[in-house]
Amino acid sequence: MSVATQAPFPVPRGLAIALAAAGPVAAGGILAARAHDASPMLAAPAIVFGVVAATGPALYIATAAAGNAPPLAAVIRAFGIALGAFGLALSGLILPAAFVSLSSVSVATTVAVTSGVVAIAGYLGLRRLASELRAGGTGDVLGGASLAGGIVFVIWAIATASIAGRLWWDLAVEVVS
Amino acid sequence: MIAAVETAPAPAAMPRPALGMIDLLLRDRERMLARIHQGTDLAAIMRTMIATIAVTMAIVGATLGSYRGGVQIAYAAIKLPIVLLGTAALSAPALSAIGAALGRRSRLSADLALVMAALAFGSLLLVACTPLIMLGRSVDLDYHRMILAVVAMFAVAGAAALRMICRGVALEAAPGWRTAVVGLCVVFSLVGGQLAWALRPYLVRPRAPEVMFLREVEGSLFDSVTGAMRSARGIYERDAAPLGTAAP
Repeated sequence: MSVATQAPFPVPRGLAIALAAAGPVAAGGILAARAHDASPMLAAPAIVFGVVAATGPALYIATAAAGNAPPLAAVIRAFGIALGAFGLALSGLILPAAFVSLSSVSVATTVAVTSGVVAIAGYLGLRRLASELRAGGTGDVLGGASLAGGIVFVIWAIATASIAGRLWWDLAVEVVS
Repeated sequence: MIAAVETAPAPAAMPRPALGMIDLLLRDRERMLARIHQGTDLAAIMRTMIATIAVTMAIVGATLGSYRGGVQIAYAAIKLPIVLLGTAALSAPALSAIGAALGRRSRLSADLALVMAALAFGSLLLVACTPLIMLGRSVDLDYHRMILAVVAMFAVAGAAALRMICRGVALEAAPGWRTAVVGLCVVFSLVGGQLAWALRPYLVRPRAPEVMFLREVEGSLFDSVTGAMRSARGIYERDAAPLGTAAP
């Protein structure tokens, strides 16, 4: 299968995953610079990796229970690529976000902009995860014929994004208040 | 043999490379997009497009500044190229990054060249509109109508540049190209709006007694828009607006 042998990114996958850690650190750094509190720089990557680690197994279990039993290796590979996609997207968005935030005196702008770029990168990461699960590995993980697999993924994505979003929002409000 | 001699281009008629590239941009954008897509002469394209943006936007800025006249001509001529080039430099990597995240084979240099070429095309359209701005000045078009006219010109030029970016990215038929273009538009609007806001004013009332190069750092464009919406609903954050001094 050509998809499995094709490089998923124009950069090494290790670098993409490193960007997935560095991106939230940078987004937390913008928030930290405004709030004069360094804690977001540690908390932001912890939210990203912590929430994915906590909810990822649930996706595997639920898709398997729904009748789409994907090989574990394919799911792990898809998560790695999705995290890399999140990091790559964030690497392109962080500079504009830093500019908009630092050129304004408004705290609300900083919170809105950093939250926005993390949300966009998160959406792109989820979208890449869905496409990797659909097309990669066995080619039948979230096959077009499986409505149940698609519903499971959408519910999982909403739950994961909501948990991460709530944690990020609480962090942002706490440090700027 | 005679035919070959007759059809060979005369060396003297060949345009200079930079001017030839601008001519290609104006007359045959499909070929320009194909060159960028193939990665041919990207460095030369970038150099020409950056120079084109700098020169044309300086002309547009000077024309806008001429509405007030005096030192504002120089101020606007300096600031407007900075706004466009700075926004492009900050925003173009988003096109590559979002595309790469979705599996598009992205090349930062090609994407930068594409964005610069599109902006150069928009800048050339704007410079073609400068006679209209000068016409407005010469018939004493009032300040608010002039603002609306300038906004309309920038909207037309921006739409043309966006269309060129869409066609350039669509050539690849890569996964996620639409999302990448939408992402670029969002980032470009936010950064461009904020940078333009931070470096304002460009168009100043003719009766303004003095002009400044930059205003003090204030809230963002977003804050200003929300503040204006609150004021429109009768919710004011200060007791009274500052009173202007009567014109002599």
